Amino acid sequence: MSLIPLLPDADPRAPFAFCHGKVIDRETFHAQVMMLAAALPEGPRVMNLCADRYWFAVTLFAAIARGMLTVLPNSAAPEHIAMVASEQPGLLVLGDQADCPVERLPYFRVDVLPSATGSSTLAEMPQIAFDQRIACMYTSGSTGTPTSHFKTFGRLQLAILAGAERVWAAAGAPCSVVGTVPIRHMYGLESSVLLPIFGGGRMSGQIPFFPADIAASLAEMPTPRLLVITPFHLRKLLEADIALPDIAVILSATAPLSAELAAQARQQLGCPVLEIYGSTETGQVATRETDKESNWQTLQGITLEERDQEFWAVGEVYETPQMLNDTVELFSPQVFRLVDRKANMINVAGKRSSLSFLNATLTSLPGVVDGVFCVPERNGNGDVERLAAFVVAPGLDRARILAGLRQHVDPVFLPRHVVFVEALPRDGNGKILARTLQDLIAQHILQRN
Amino acid sequence: MEQQIPAHIEPDLALEREIAGLIVATLNLDVAPEAIVPEAPLYGDELGLDSIDILEIALVMSKQYGVQMTTDSEANVTIFGSLRALASYIQEHRSK
Repeated sequence: MSLIPLLPDADPRAPFAFCHGKVIDRETFHAQVMMLAAALPEGPRVMNLCADRYWFAVTLFAAIARGMLTVLPNSAAPEHIAMVASEQPGLLVLGDQADCPVERLPYFRVDVLPSATGSSTLAEMPQIAFDQRIACMYTSGSTGTPTSHFKTFGRLQLAILAGAERVWAAAGAPCSVVGTVPIRHMYGLESSVLLPIFGGGRMSGQIPFFPADIAASLAEMPTPRLLVITPFHLRKLLEADIALPDIAVILSATAPLSAELAAQARQQLGCPVLEIYGSTETGQVATRETDKESNWQTLQGITLEERDQEFWAVGEVYETPQMLNDTVELFSPQVFRLVDRKANMINVAGKRSSLSFLNATLTSLPGVVDGVFCVPERNGNGDVERLAAFVVAPGLDRARILAGLRQHVDPVFLPRHVVFVEALPRDGNGKILARTLQDLIAQHILQRN
Repeated sequence: MEQQIPAHIEPDLALEREIAGLIVATLNLDVAPEAIVPEAPLYGDELGLDSIDILEIALVMSKQYGVQMTTDSEANVTIFGSLRALASYIQEHRSK
């Protein structure tokens, strides 16, 4: 079985991470990974809940060095964490917070080890098996039940290098990477954590939120700069219209990017926006410059195939071919057009869930007789989709419904409007027809707005 | 960064009312502006705002009052802790 160095060859003095004005070089990063690896208690798997991207990276690579699987929950919702913990026995939580961010699990704090500097602390670079499972991600899945999905070291690295080739070419050189996206989701893990590590770039420790934060994180890093963001956040950044340092390339993923927004970003910031097509299961598959082209080009080493009326991503980056969540039109194994996102999946500001999962959660709440989620205005103008729900629950109020849902789902999926009705008209198969739902929406929600 | 919320400032009720109106209009909330309890948390079960909403509110605050929000300090949690805290922060830092 082939072995790969834990960290790529790099100039030990090369600046690697920028954390609130502090610059950490490659050698210090390597040393901190090895120190933490040596300090971690025995165990099969860890849950990495670090808030800072740099400590997240140190912790991830320390776990890899020790042969431990890193479990990455897709949200901090207590029920999700509990489900993950029941599926993953022997889980130790690793974090950079004073107290464990989740309940009822053992905790080890990673950012308080004595600081390591200099090559004297460095042992030889660990060699990692190509097939070592390093990360377990959770998808919401089309059925709505979160399912675990494993990533192996060698394949993940191949995918990252293929992405780096594309992104660095657009930027002209390896970049300083600032990301606003969650690091425990596939897009943020690939583009804001692993890309700078494997691709010879530089990472920001911060996960900036407000436009002024994004500007500050960019400003503390040298050019060329890459901004990893979602369409929703990009739109808000452009609307804020504040002065930003030079950006070489913007990456966008998790929700469809409109050609208008891509063009506006190019005009306002003077840089291209590369949109990434991918999913938790497939990782990054293809890119396009959305304001200039409608077709997608797969990354080096990935091709698409149609089999049994489904589309599959194929390549050495996958243990087995991965089914796409969308219908595509293939022009060649490397070039395709996205026809339709599969129904049922919903996307709120880049976070995904499925209506079936949300509906099942809603109707399982004590006191709820029946209920259904809907998206009142599914418009194409790039506005964020907020959900609404029709609920049959005599004796419950809005606050109780929201509090119940909050235990299970990410807050962005909580219904903005909760409309109480006496009954939901279901057909003989127990389904609520789309037309019926549209009528309810028109009657109870749109009219009021 | 000084993002402390001075406790001694008298609540500006008119500003609170105005900001409540902006929040409800911006987010298209299912409540009346006067129904927002000034001391109640904006996050969480009461009003149910999330991070997307907070970003929207921050944009409106910068356009309306010339205040740029940052997450530079823990104060952010405090600023968006309640309508009253937000109003008092805006009152202190507004440039228009």
